[in-house]
Amino acid sequence: MQQHRIKFSLLLTMILLLVLSSISIAQEERVLVIGHAEITESYDVAHAFNPTSGIVHRAAYDTLVSFPDTDASSIEPSLASSWTVSDDGLVYTFTLRDDVTFSNGDPLTADDVVFSFTRLSNVLSNPSFLADPIASIEAVDDLTVAITLTATRPSFLAEMVNSAFSIMNDSEVIAAGGTMAEDAAETDAARDFFDQNSAGTGPYILESWTPQEETVLVRNENYWGEDVPYFDRIIIVNISESATQKVALESGEIDIATDLAPDQVSTMQDNSDLAIYTTLDRWTHFLLMNRDPEIGGPVADPLVARAIRLALDYEGYTQLWEGSITPGSNMWVGIQGALSPAQIMVRDLDTARALLEEAGYPDGFEIELSYPDLTWNGVNLSTNAQKIQADLAEIGIVVSLRPGEVQVSLEEYRTGQQGFAYWFWGPDILDPVDFLSFLPGGKVAEERTNWFTDDVDPDILALIEQAGTETDPQIRQVVFEELQLWAQENGAYAPFNVPTIQTAVRSDIEGYIWHPSWTLDVTLLSRAE
Amino acid sequence: MPIYRYIIRRLLFIIPLLLGITVVSFVIANAVPADPINANLPQNALNDEELVAAFRAKWGLDKSPFEQYLVYMGNLLQGDMGVSIKTNNPVVEDIRQFLPATMELATYSIVVGLIMGIGFGVISAIWRNSIIDYFVRFFALIGVSFPVFLLALIALTVFHGELGWAAGPGRLSILTRDPPGITGWFTIDALLTGQFETFQDAFSHLILPSIVLGSYVSGIIARITRSSLLEQLGSDYIRTARSKGLYETSIIFKHGLSNALIPVVTMIGLLYGNLLAGAVLTESIFNWPGIGRYAFRASTSQDFPAIMGVSMLIAFIYVMVNFLVDLLYFFLDPRIRAS
Repeated sequence: MQQHRIKFSLLLTMILLLVLSSISIAQEERVLVIGHAEITESYDVAHAFNPTSGIVHRAAYDTLVSFPDTDASSIEPSLASSWTVSDDGLVYTFTLRDDVTFSNGDPLTADDVVFSFTRLSNVLSNPSFLADPIASIEAVDDLTVAITLTATRPSFLAEMVNSAFSIMNDSEVIAAGGTMAEDAAETDAARDFFDQNSAGTGPYILESWTPQEETVLVRNENYWGEDVPYFDRIIIVNISESATQKVALESGEIDIATDLAPDQVSTMQDNSDLAIYTTLDRWTHFLLMNRDPEIGGPVADPLVARAIRLALDYEGYTQLWEGSITPGSNMWVGIQGALSPAQIMVRDLDTARALLEEAGYPDGFEIELSYPDLTWNGVNLSTNAQKIQADLAEIGIVVSLRPGEVQVSLEEYRTGQQGFAYWFWGPDILDPVDFLSFLPGGKVAEERTNWFTDDVDPDILALIEQAGTETDPQIRQVVFEELQLWAQENGAYAPFNVPTIQTAVRSDIEGYIWHPSWTLDVTLLSRAE
Repeated sequence: MPIYRYIIRRLLFIIPLLLGITVVSFVIANAVPADPINANLPQNALNDEELVAAFRAKWGLDKSPFEQYLVYMGNLLQGDMGVSIKTNNPVVEDIRQFLPATMELATYSIVVGLIMGIGFGVISAIWRNSIIDYFVRFFALIGVSFPVFLLALIALTVFHGELGWAAGPGRLSILTRDPPGITGWFTIDALLTGQFETFQDAFSHLILPSIVLGSYVSGIIARITRSSLLEQLGSDYIRTARSKGLYETSIIFKHGLSNALIPVVTMIGLLYGNLLAGAVLTESIFNWPGIGRYAFRASTSQDFPAIMGVSMLIAFIYVMVNFLVDLLYFFLDPRIRAS
């Protein structure tokens, strides 16, 4: 009986110790909780192309090259330790690092790169267009990859930073039913698996995804890098409503709120438990003036377009949206090569009125302004539209506002049916070539503004051509500056504001940086201890 | 008419109704001047003709609307509601994921709303034209007219954010794992699997949204209960009961209230349908992963299969709930049985 008691006591003590140790392990687990409005339909790098997948892919995968942690000012090595570009600018040869392993321990090889890029191209999904410039790709040896382009493309390295070019472990993808075959659009079956798992080289691993609820990342125990990932677990909770994110952050349920509106952040300034980060957003707000006279009416006239640019109260918008700035052109201000603050447009009502008179509208005219009825990253478009209405009234242009349902308005905009419209643009590529969309021959110009190359000065067309192919950084700088200044005089757009984006985090979170490419890099985050 | 014939007739009536719903939702979804291509592909991808063609072929958008409808109906008759463009999952699976959350919340809200509404209605009728009556009527008016999403935001900010009395947004605390999916109702699944802490957590997360949604329900129920009970209390049979010397509590609750609740039962069907279909904003504020948020996302991204699926589901639930209410009516009201 005595023996039984002793055995029972020992067993009880062991169970107690086990329970206590598991509790202490649970308590020591480092968990980061992010409140985020989820926008993704997949986490497979060959299928996803949206903000949320950008955050997750940055944590779970790596690309051959990358931007610095803080901005997009240069191209830096990542999985590729070095690269060379052929004289004709068509062949990029990358040398891979020899110490990289995937999360399952497999070494990175050139075959993984070939597989990842070819699959991206052949699955014909949302980000596949990014692989269009690639004519062929070849594994020269285990650690060397040669990519041949269809045409010279100075922005190619910047484009390769996109998470769609993340390198996946080919054997894991094949095991999950993936393929890089030409008919991958029909035969690749790995998407479901990679919505729930990852096969990358990043510091974290995708553990699970419950769509519209939460995404869970855990530490990659086989991470090859020098810095061990800080958190054991990162939970990205889908909180679509910014007001709910605010409440959850203030009550300490989440560590980071990624989608707060400026007025919500302003009420948090005095809260010592929180730290506020304000950065320029990547969206340029602009007016579009359709060059087809039947659609644009008076604003199709370049003189009127210039008058409108001169009539906008640029300073007023920066006061309206605290911390925002005035761009010099439709090139996003964070891109190397964008015009400096000294080169921005300045309001000049007298010149604007004179231009209107010269165009045959001495008493102004009436026009409708179309825009999507929404608030984008905290900026209410109706507020700006009302200010535009007031600004232009000062030179006799009577603007009636025409807010539209977002999808309907987007359809009109993308098919070039809007005469005078207010939209915003975020660069797909963080490179000056993105600006070419707003010049004759470019996407926005031709498809949405009916602005073609027919009546454009041949010298300007030659300059546009050069801008698309020039690889020398200094010459690029000069060419793009000239084109931006030309657009200030002759363009069909009036870019007027780049607002800020606000993020609030618990004050014990360290290493927060908002990046224009991947927005949030969770691998840089840690908690003060 | 025998009850079984009544049931069969009502069930048969559901078929053309659902068929009509598919036509109406398909026509409306196609009438919106917006292209799913624009809503679902990145803008630079629109230049890639091969990609755009693949997208159109994959989702059947390369066919005429009539052909699309026929294909959809053909699949539907085989129990296939199609695949959501946005989630890439079968719509049936999406519904299975999101509907239980909404149904759980709607059911709790109805219960809260009924308890509050009937209670207030009875109090208001008994003390007619007193201060209490005015207060209850004022409360009912607020419940009906105050925007629910605003009430949700205020309640969450005050009772969770400021006072810490109520659980936060979501169905569970962030670090609590979901119970094994049996019914999809977290409170039931937690109980069935013996996870009492999870049950407690899930239940605490239901309290605030249920009260918020229930306040809207209770406002309507209180008004109906009050007027219906007053009508009953003024009836001849109540006068007879009083003259026979019955206790007042027995007169009010046994005779008056049981008859006064018949119109309330009718309202439950409509209100339950409303809660299932119209709680989008409340679901957003409370971060409730329900069918309302799914429907909203589907409509903003021109996700035809999901729009059709949700439309039919809501219509089906509406019809079924009201059918059940009518059946209940059949049992509750002897006059209907007699007719």
